[in-house]
Amino acid sequence: MNVIEIKNLTKKYGKARGISDVSLTVEEGEIFGFIGPNGAGKSTTIRTLLTLIYPTSGSATVFGKDFIKEAPEIKKEIGYLPSEVFYYDNMKVIDLLKYSASFYKKDCSNRINELAERMDLDLNKKIDDLSFGNKKKVGIVQGLLHTPKLIILDEPTSGLDPLMQQTFFELLKEENQKGATILFSSHILSEVQRLCDRVAIIKEGKIIKVEKISTLKESNYKKFRIETKSEINKQIFALDGIKDIEVDDHVIRFLFKGDLNPIMDKIAELDITNLWVEEPDLEEIFMHYYEKEDKDR
Amino acid sequence: MNMYWHELKATRKSTIIWTLSITLLIIFFMSMYPTFSKEAESLRKMLEGFPDALLKAMNFDMDTFTSILGFYSYIFLYILLCGAIQAMILGIGILSKEVREKTADFLLTKPVTRQQILTSKLLAALTSIVSTNIGYLITVLAMASIVEPNSFDQKLLLMISITLLFIQVVFLAIGISMSVLVPKIKSVLPISLGTVFGFFIVSMFASSIGDEKFRYITPFQYFDAPYILQNQAYDLTFVVLSIVLVSVLTAASYIIYVRKDIHAV
Repeated sequence: MNVIEIKNLTKKYGKARGISDVSLTVEEGEIFGFIGPNGAGKSTTIRTLLTLIYPTSGSATVFGKDFIKEAPEIKKEIGYLPSEVFYYDNMKVIDLLKYSASFYKKDCSNRINELAERMDLDLNKKIDDLSFGNKKKVGIVQGLLHTPKLIILDEPTSGLDPLMQQTFFELLKEENQKGATILFSSHILSEVQRLCDRVAIIKEGKIIKVEKISTLKESNYKKFRIETKSEINKQIFALDGIKDIEVDDHVIRFLFKGDLNPIMDKIAELDITNLWVEEPDLEEIFMHYYEKEDKDR
Repeated sequence: MNMYWHELKATRKSTIIWTLSITLLIIFFMSMYPTFSKEAESLRKMLEGFPDALLKAMNFDMDTFTSILGFYSYIFLYILLCGAIQAMILGIGILSKEVREKTADFLLTKPVTRQQILTSKLLAALTSIVSTNIGYLITVLAMASIVEPNSFDQKLLLMISITLLFIQVVFLAIGISMSVLVPKIKSVLPISLGTVFGFFIVSMFASSIGDEKFRYITPFQYFDAPYILQNQAYDLTFVVLSIVLVSVLTAASYIIYVRKDIHAV
């Protein structure tokens, strides 16, 4: 079953920002990453999905229900953590969490204590007195206390120290194993790589690619770096599947996708002093998508 | 209901402060009345020297000024001014504070409709205003019987005093519609004071030139105390006008708020 189904969602703000024609589906039980640089439209998509803003055109369903008409019904099962958390300053943490819990018709007090303990959060402090990181923790507890079926996180890790980030990711994985679907937006690739099953890459308001993290890494390119004794002629490697050739004196670098044997034959002809064949990390793959887009235009 | 209680708690302190200020103000004004009535004759003579327009602007009426109700209808203008400011601050703050304190995301991602949010907030604001009015009415009735040993028309006193509530409701509606229309209100106080004083000055101007048309522009003229005193009734045109104004502004606020984009800040 698809938990989220977005169809041709467009949001125009005057001319500049916004999203256009975004379509994607998030399946039940998966951790879906939403990645792109700042201002690419991640937040816009998420905020539209949560009906904080309304789309110019297009539609979406969450849990099979129309996301605008049945918004209150849908939100019973959504936990949301915004990128910037600011809560009623003059409240105590526990009062805020109780207020948050009062919107859901279930008893959340055990869950609040449990989460607060895991996140090392002092419930009796005033929100005003908390550091940014601690406010973020309030946000996390607030987003998870009603054990939602769909967790939506908008750049959740900013402000958390690495140790807390670790705990937070563990929490998310546990929730996921219990059956929660997670939509996770980020501009930091390594965290998406760590957590997500599938990822959508968004750029300038458009989805460029939706791919499994594993395929994104596997099916793609090998990164070659060859060092030779003599200068190399670029033409030797004029083969299909080779990209981004760079020659720097005695070193040649390129990305390759396809059958490895012809390449090995070519390399065998050379008098090499050193050779590296590596998996490109996600960052490079990602940059590649972005560059490719630019060249296509 | 949880939102209503939350809102009520959030405005509790300011409601108490406003109620105290307004009741203290009326206690202060009323306690001046015995002096006024004693010196009525000399005061009358002194005021006769004042320009006519000025007296009208300040709601002075020579014939009634020295009776308790006449005196009251004069000072009541300043009570109204305070009440209007309270209502305006409440009205503007109610939604804009969610944007300013960046808590809109919190509230709007909860399983509630925007109508429910606005209704809870509206009811909380109304509760706050009604409590202020209850405190005020009790004080005014008590003070009047203390400072005026002779009998006077208590019903008229009540009729004038209750217009505080009416005016506050009108300003609450103006405030809420402004908070929905203006994209981002950085500071509530200047806008509230500006709007209320604007209407107040227009009202003084309207009184002094005595032009009927101006009365429609400013809510301060809708429930004119001297009029109530003279006719022992409200001016029906303006009662209807107030009801229409409040209904239209409230309906517009709902319509706009339900469709409004709430942007990240």
